[in-house]
Order: sequence, then structure tokens, then C-alpha cells
Amino acid sequence: MNKFWPIFFMFWPILAIVSFVIAPAMNWWFPGPAMSPLGQQIDNLFYLILVIVAVTFVGTHVALGYVLWRGVDNKDQKAWFSHGSHNLEILWSIAPAGVLMFISLYQLDVWMEFRVKSHFPEGTTPVAEVTARQFEWRIRYPAPGKKLMTTPQADDLYTVNDLHVPFGRPVSIRLRSMDVQHAFFVPELRVKQDAVPGTVIPVWFEASQLGEYDLTCAELCGWGHYKMRGRVFAENESGFERYLKTLQAEQNFDGVTQPEHSGAQIAEYGIEDSQ
Amino acid sequence: MKRSITIILLCAALPLVGCDSSRAPAFQLSEQSLELSGFARDKVQGELSSGFGSPAELVVWPELDVDFGQFGGTIGKVGPRPGTIRVGQSGTEGLSSQSELAVDRLLEGLRGAAVVISKVGSNEEASADGDKPVEGGAPEGSAGNVYRVASYDAKSQLLSVVDESGQPATLDAADGDTVQILGSALQSGRNLYLRHCMHCHGVSGDGAGPTAQYFKVKPRDYRQGIIKFTSTKASVPRPSRDDLFRIIKLGVPGTYMPSFMLLPDDEVKMISEYVRWLAMRGEMERKLNAWLVTSYSQEAVDEADSPAELQAEFDTEWAEEAGDYIERFGNDLKLDWQDANKPESVVNPSVPRTPSSPESIANGRQIFLSKDAKCASCHGETGRGNGPSTEAFNDLPGQPPGTKSDKPGLFDNWGNIVEPRNLTTGVFRGGRRPIDIYRRIHSGIKGTPMQAFGTTLKEEQIWDVVNYVLSIPFEDKQSVH
Repeated sequence: MNKFWPIFFMFWPILAIVSFVIAPAMNWWFPGPAMSPLGQQIDNLFYLILVIVAVTFVGTHVALGYVLWRGVDNKDQKAWFSHGSHNLEILWSIAPAGVLMFISLYQLDVWMEFRVKSHFPEGTTPVAEVTARQFEWRIRYPAPGKKLMTTPQADDLYTVNDLHVPFGRPVSIRLRSMDVQHAFFVPELRVKQDAVPGTVIPVWFEASQLGEYDLTCAELCGWGHYKMRGRVFAENESGFERYLKTLQAEQNFDGVTQPEHSGAQIAEYGIEDSQ
Repeated sequence: MKRSITIILLCAALPLVGCDSSRAPAFQLSEQSLELSGFARDKVQGELSSGFGSPAELVVWPELDVDFGQFGGTIGKVGPRPGTIRVGQSGTEGLSSQSELAVDRLLEGLRGAAVVISKVGSNEEASADGDKPVEGGAPEGSAGNVYRVASYDAKSQLLSVVDESGQPATLDAADGDTVQILGSALQSGRNLYLRHCMHCHGVSGDGAGPTAQYFKVKPRDYRQGIIKFTSTKASVPRPSRDDLFRIIKLGVPGTYMPSFMLLPDDEVKMISEYVRWLAMRGEMERKLNAWLVTSYSQEAVDEADSPAELQAEFDTEWAEEAGDYIERFGNDLKLDWQDANKPESVVNPSVPRTPSSPESIANGRQIFLSKDAKCASCHGETGRGNGPSTEAFNDLPGQPPGTKSDKPGLFDNWGNIVEPRNLTTGVFRGGRRPIDIYRRIHSGIKGTPMQAFGTTLKEEQIWDVVNYVLSIPFEDKQSVH
């Protein structure tokens, strides 16, 4: 019974570490590997911080365990009152401050690249305007071969919940909200950005591989928050071009001259293109 | 101490109690039904219950133009008693379901499930499709004898069926025939509807779900069988399957209806099929009301010299005529909804869109402002949706001509004020394709004061108006309304 408290207090940190170790194998970890170069860097930062806190966590808990364990059978030594050690106080103030300073400086490049427009990678092309709305993503593309303008153009193409982008190069979207705050979150690309009503926020990302990525809303935006399910479809240049052309054909359909595409086909042909 | 134990026990009991579970979904009667006298209302309710059931126990009425979906198996042996069938050979699987719902769940969710028996070789298609929605509604086999499930024992694979009178059915079946039970897709549709649609559109499809009260633009009440944005002609009152599919997939911009683009196609089809079925239920109720309300409303009972006499009169009339009326109503429902899916019901122009030239746009504007089309009287001279009609006392749609509203403004069939579309915002609820706008002008918007111009304007003229509407420079005003 004497050993109860040391065992109790050591059980939890050991459980925490075990669960961390088996997490990747149990699929409790990230939603897949980062599918973008910047996402890879963000993951690296995450792991760096994880190592720093893991070392601290293990160190402090080993010390705690040692003290508790030794105290169980220690009947002779009495507790004494201490005003602390000035040198120790300085040490454990400066050491964490140094670690924090290191982390904040070390991550600055990634932060600037992700958030600050002047540091976006060169050649980032705006591909679409994404407007969040309760409870869907409305998307506006420029006509094929044209640039995305800030104001809607007569030949713009519209779709919903299905954002197609080319992969292998940085692209950006103009993120807006029509009603309340939403957040554009593509976990596999490690992109998360709030959409704020009244502002246009440029968000860039680069999908490194062809694929279909989940797009979710990461800001509780109302009772239908869970409904804001979309997808980002990264395809090759010709596939993307073809997608825009199909969208254009669909949007200009006059019931006579072109074959009619139903909404279902809008959702489907992206997948056909990739195969 | 005692108090804290009580609190802890109460907290522990919370998960057992859960939320208010007494509110199982139920179909509500419409406001019109509530105007009926008690005895007439009971009959209407009884009729709806026997034709459509309740959300927990659906009733398949095979005559309706609904793809109910089916599950079943092969007849191993007819017998041993009259009206019983052993499904499959003993030792093999009996009834089997291709839907995500298991056979016992499916049977539990159907009241008097309809059974269709297809002869060997005659209806292979119908049985091969299984649960998947098939275009064109109920399978061919349903035209013949329809039986109802009395019981099914999965262990002995013994299926007992009764005929319409509730007696063990004399089966026109042989070993090896296919036995199909209708209603699997309807149940999947019901589940999906309750998950995705019910909180706005309501369990009964009355557009009064719990979240509807917060909306300025009200969710559609299906019970009139009217959907606003359809591809069908003005003379075809119902939407097609494709129309519903498109609306669910793409949403309705400018309203609270979101897009369900990423739901699998077959799920969207099952939802739209369930919506059609709910609309038919609502229509059936309206038809019964329209028949009964003049003579047997609560008001009539209150004013009658002898309520008992009126009730006796009602009972006689019901006994004599209800069967015929219900058969006729059901037939009307079937024809109306079938009509909407015929290729010739869809508005398709015979001439392609006139290229959007300055002349065409100017022509369109002429028509927009002209005395014949009078678009500007509602949509305003500049297309801002602020024409003089929005401030006038107008005829109410869906009412006898000359019935004026008591408030100024334009009203739809559901009694809501509608704002004519502001064409400068670039938001087109029924779709922004030229063909969508063409169809809006050609057949109007059903249930609203937007008229059909398909007969008054020539096709080329409609295209000019389309070009004009699409040329109105729009403001980037991102508002829901």
C-alpha cells in the first residue's frame, strides 16, 4: 500500500508515453502524411516541439517518480523549510525562455511563408474564389485561360463544395465568408485559415500529389457546421484545364447545342480525369 | 454528504435517461385537416395511415409512382400451409437484403409490407436490380397480385403472406419464382431524410422542422407537390426526378438550402424518392380535405342543427364513396408524378441560344420593359426586384381569382411574401445556366407569381430576355437574401 502513490503517479505518464508511441500504428495520429511541401515543414516543426516537450516531460516525471519512491521508506529524514535557491530560480527561468525564444525564431520562416502575402512562394497563382456560407463552399473560377479577377466577371465559372486545383505548383484562393466566421481546413495539406465576413484572405497551398483531399469547416459556424463537407481535388494541369472546360460547357448549356451534364457528373468527372 | 451522493447518482443516471426520447418522429396532420370535424379528421388520418403509415412503420402503396426498392429471395417451396412460402432451400439464406439495412430491420420498419411474386424468367430485370433505385418506379410485377407480409421467421425461412382482406393468400406462385418485398430504398431514404433534411423540412415534409423558424426564406413545404425550380413545362405541375436530384446536389444559392454535392448519387436518389413520396402523402391529404371540407368541417358541425345527423350523413357518404375517391386520387397522383418524368414534359428550346450581342440584349430589354411581358412590374426597370407590384395588393396564387392579399406584396402558394429576384446580385436560385433562366421564363416558377411566358413569347424572344438578364451588371453583394 505504501507504494500506491508512486505507482499511481507513474502509471499515467507511462500510459501517456505508450499511447504516443503506438498512436501512429493505431491511426490516432495525423490524417496521413503531409501532402504539401509546406505541410512537411509544419510537421517537422511539430516533431521538433514534440521532442522538446517529450524530453522535458520524461525528465520531470522520472524526477517525480524518484522522489516519491524514495520517500516511501524514508522514515528518518524530516522535511525542511526552504526559501529556494536563487541560482536554480535563474536557471529554470532562463532555460525555458531560451527554448521558447529558439522555437519562435526557428518557426518564423514557415509562418511568414504561410501567412504573409509578400513571402508567398514566387509564381503563386490565384485559381479560385472560395466563399464559405452556411453550410457550403461556393467556388468561383475564372474562365479557362483567364485570370481570376477580384470582381465577378460575366464568364466566371461557378461550382459548390468541390474545389479543383492543379498539383505540383503553389496556388492560392481568395477566401471569403458570406455570413459568419468559417474556417477553410484541408487536414492533409495542413492548411487551416479562418474565413472572416467582410474580408478577403488569400490562402496558398501546394498539393504535392494528385489526389482527393477532405475539405472541412474548422470553425463552429452554426447548427449545420458538420454539413460543410467539401473536397479539394488536386489534378494535373491538363486535367484541371479540362475540368474548367467541362464546367464552362455545363454552365453555358442552352438545352440545344451541348450535351447536358447533371450535377452528378460535375462531381464525378474529376475522378475520371485522374485515372 | 447525502446531498453530494445524490448529485453523483443523478449525474451517473443522466446517460441512462438521455435526451427526451418520447418525441419519436411522427407525421403531423396539416392545418386544413385540423379544420375538419373530429369524425372526418379521424377518417382522413386513418386513410393516410393505411396508405402511407408512420415514419417508424412505412406503408408501401405499390400503385404510386415511387421506386420503393425491394429485397427478397427465391421461392424454395410454396406451402406447407396456404399463404406460406419457404424462401430459398433449407440451409441457405432466406430473404436477403442488398441495402445496408438487415432483413429483420427492413421488415420491422414496414407495416404490411407489399410482396410481389415474379414468375421465373418474366421479370429478371426487376429482381436483379435489388435495392438500387430503378428509373420508372415500381417493378412490372407489382401490376399483378400484391400480397402483404404477415410474418417471417428467419430460422425456418417461412414467409406468411396475406391478401388485401387479411386472409392467407391463395398464391399464384411456383417453386423457383422470385419473391420481392417492396420498401427497402424507401426506408434508406427515410433514414437519410431524417438525418440530412428533417430539421428544416420537417418529418412530414411540411417545411416546419425545428430549424425552419429561424429562416427568412422558408424551407419548401412539399405537401402541395409543388417545387419551385423545375425543368418541366408550365402545364406539368410536378418536378421530375432529375430536378430534385439537381437541387439536392447543387443546393439553392440565395436560400438556406445547402449543396449535398458529396453525398453518393444513390443516396441522393433515395432521398429524392422519399421526398416525392412525402409530397404524395401531403397531396393525398389535401385531396381528401378538399373533398370533405365544405360539408364536414368543424364549423359545419358547430352550425348544424343536429351534429349527430351530419355525422350519420358523413358515415354513409364515406362508406359509399370513399373507395372511389381514394382510387381516383391515387390514380391522379400516379399520373401527375409520372408525367413529370416523361421526356416531352421537359422544356427544351428548339433553337439554340442567340449569341449575346448588343442587339439581342437591347431586344431583351425591350421585352423586359414591354407591356406584354411586364417583367419590370415586379423585377423593376433596372432589375433590382423592386417593381411597383411589390407594393401593391395582389391576387393570391393558388386561390380563386380575385382573392386579394390583406398585406401589400407578392405572395406564393405557401402564404409567404416573395421578393422578385434582384437580378443585379448575380444569384440565381434555380441555376445560372442559360437553359435554367430560359426555363424560368418559359414555364414560370411554380407556386409563385412568376408567370409562364412560354406561350406569349417566341423562343428567340425568350433567348433575348435571357441574354439581357445575364448582361445586367451585377454588384458583388454577398448577402443571403
